[in-house]
Amino acid sequence: MGVTMPDLPKKKVGIVACSGEEMAEGAVTRLAALRVLEQLRPNETVTICLPLFLAGGEGDRAFARFYPTIAIDGCDKRCAARGTEMYSGKPAASIVVTEAIQTNHLGTARRLSETGMQAVDVVAEQVAQQVDELLGVTWDRKQGQPSKEAQPAEESEAKIATCSCGSGIPIQKVRVDSQEVTFIALPLIFEQFRDAGKLSGDGATAELMETVKVYNPIPDGQEAAYTQAVMREYAAFCQEKN
Amino acid sequence: MTQRVVIVPCSGIGKSYGTVAREGAFRVTEDLRPDTTQLIPLSLLVLGDEQARADVAGAQAITIDGCKLACATKMVAESGGQVARDPSASLRTSLVVLDVFRRHRDLKPQGVSELNEGGQQLAHALADEVATLVDQLTDSLPLTQRNGGRAGDGGDNA
Repeated sequence: MGVTMPDLPKKKVGIVACSGEEMAEGAVTRLAALRVLEQLRPNETVTICLPLFLAGGEGDRAFARFYPTIAIDGCDKRCAARGTEMYSGKPAASIVVTEAIQTNHLGTARRLSETGMQAVDVVAEQVAQQVDELLGVTWDRKQGQPSKEAQPAEESEAKIATCSCGSGIPIQKVRVDSQEVTFIALPLIFEQFRDAGKLSGDGATAELMETVKVYNPIPDGQEAAYTQAVMREYAAFCQEKN
Repeated sequence: MTQRVVIVPCSGIGKSYGTVAREGAFRVTEDLRPDTTQLIPLSLLVLGDEQARADVAGAQAITIDGCKLACATKMVAESGGQVARDPSASLRTSLVVLDVFRRHRDLKPQGVSELNEGGQQLAHALADEVATLVDQLTDSLPLTQRNGGRAGDGGDNA
């Protein structure tokens, strides 16, 4: 039995840039991220501002648990990678500009030099390759698109950087035994199952829980309690929608 | 001991307003008031970098947010910086780019990697507002805490 995935999450990779304003390498991270988001892989990537992990809500902090993320850092302080891991989830990949580019002539944080702009190209290409690896896509460089045997990317999206400011990741708090647990993507999963006609009490439990587990680790020995709590919420969801 | 006014812009990379915030901050700290201001990157505050937090703690701060989520203002407040965000405050030091745009509706910013002409001019207008705030804050500091007066004046005030 295959796992039913909500539409939104699995096809995107999250990009988190340090964007550090005190050094040219920070500008390289920001512009490289934008190059990937706007030009190289616009349909496969989404971004979030690093500070939003702290300033946003739980949905924003769930970003890296929802998307596999690539952290792009300007220096070995690795603010993006460490911040993402600290507040959201461990990045799937990490790139540090000072390790990828061996030059001190990038320009300034405000204005990159020609060398700095070349560094943007190099870092952006590395990030794009990481995106492909994470999505399992083989990129046809001649055609500038996924190779035919790969799953085609979704079209119809505007080629501008999409950030998740304010949108957040849908979450739902559920009481499991005596504890309140935050489930990522639960509203989306419920909606998708109900729309597919997989109603509560209709043998959908195993499939629904498999999907829930993609985004939400279930502690050892608590599967029964989690299943009971999630299915209780799903029954309430279906009843409310009727 | 000298204490500069800390300028903390939004570090957003997904919207034009974030770019305007960053560009405005650069203009203040590099062109208009280089001797009395200091730019602190938001990413360092997020990580709790000791030096960045020490620079912000107890300092007069001006935050420039790109959107209503106000990441810069929240992070500065959390780091112990003094930022007046209440609209009724006599000297509000928490700025939002959208509010500046409302005062300059002819300067519509577009582009993220590179701002259009309207965005550049909006960043200049924002920087002028910030510079005025810096002057008011530094005037209110005791003489022993001021640093360098207005030596940074002379930037072109577009």
